Amino acid sequence: MKKILILVIVFYILVLFQISFLVHFNIFDGSFLGWSPNLILIAVILLNIFENPQKNSGYFTAFIGGFFLDIFSGHFLGINFIGFWISILLAISFSIKFILRKYVRTPFFKKA
Amino acid sequence: MKLSPKLKIGIIVVLLIAFFVVLNLTAISKGIKNFFYLISSPIQKTLWRLSNNLSDFLEAISNINKLKKETEETRLQNQELLKELVTLKEIREENKILREALDLGLEKEFKLQIAQVISKDISEDSLIIDKGSKEGIEEGLPVISQQKVLWGRISEVYPNFSRVMLISNKESSFDAKIVNEEEIQGVVKGKGNLKIIFDLIPQEKEIEEGNLLITTSLGGIYPEGLLIGLVKTIKKSDIEPWQQAEIQPFFDLSEAEILFIIIEW
Repeated sequence: MKKILILVIVFYILVLFQISFLVHFNIFDGSFLGWSPNLILIAVILLNIFENPQKNSGYFTAFIGGFFLDIFSGHFLGINFIGFWISILLAISFSIKFILRKYVRTPFFKKA
Repeated sequence: MKLSPKLKIGIIVVLLIAFFVVLNLTAISKGIKNFFYLISSPIQKTLWRLSNNLSDFLEAISNINKLKKETEETRLQNQELLKELVTLKEIREENKILREALDLGLEKEFKLQIAQVISKDISEDSLIIDKGSKEGIEEGLPVISQQKVLWGRISEVYPNFSRVMLISNKESSFDAKIVNEEEIQGVVKGKGNLKIIFDLIPQEKEIEEGNLLITTSLGGIYPEGLLIGLVKTIKKSDIEPWQQAEIQPFFDLSEAEILFIIIEW
């Protein structure tokens, strides 16, 4: 429960930071492929990659991140509804987990 | 009865889809967005102001050498401008009297609503401002700055907030003209990333870099005479029926804090 709360707060701060703070800096002004870096997307991908592949909290991360992106962004490719970013991030999260579970063997050290 | 993991996932997916369909088909989604904007706006306003100041400061540091050179040039220009200023002051006084006589004040030209910018969209060229349907804001209303520079129009309205589609948004297109020796009509299209182009200009018309672009009342979207930008580069090709020009827009995100919505014109 504590972890969920921390995730929600961190993602909320991250999205506000991106839409109200970073937009003023030229370096973030869409210089990369015409898009500014999406901090939530990056965070979700990183959390899913570095999490133990057998755990499922990455999906929850994707849901929270997607929800905030849906709330604070308007149209994307002409689509505007709550659930769009959630679906995208869940699909990304699912793909990462699938690849890590099926094709990658990661060494995990258990606590003694 | 124990459900298999695949069935569990299936049920969760179906429930989620049903939840989002209900959410988006009703007005609840606007309510949710408005709620989040409402609780976030104090933080967003602070962040926006902080970031504005910080970016100005950093820009000043990075441009220090350029600024020195510019100061020298400005000093020279200043003397010449002072001479002109004296003349202009006289003209302004005369203009003021004439305006009063003809009842042409800007505040009388438009009925305005003041609004503060709180955020910019992540994925497209749009802003969120702190005025919504409760203040009489409707979709389609033009948004300008104090200097009569066109920023865009209202694309979505929430009870306390509105979304402004900037003129550089890919979905934005409207009629505009260049006031040169002759009037040149065309269409301004948004290219995304705060860039705009002036398109559908007849080949035979002569345009030059630095020409001023203003709105026309032709499409009925914007009032006449709002400032858009200056012609930056011209793209002319013999095989194309029209010529195109890249525009340096007047609106500047670093100066976005207070905007005006034209309620009536």
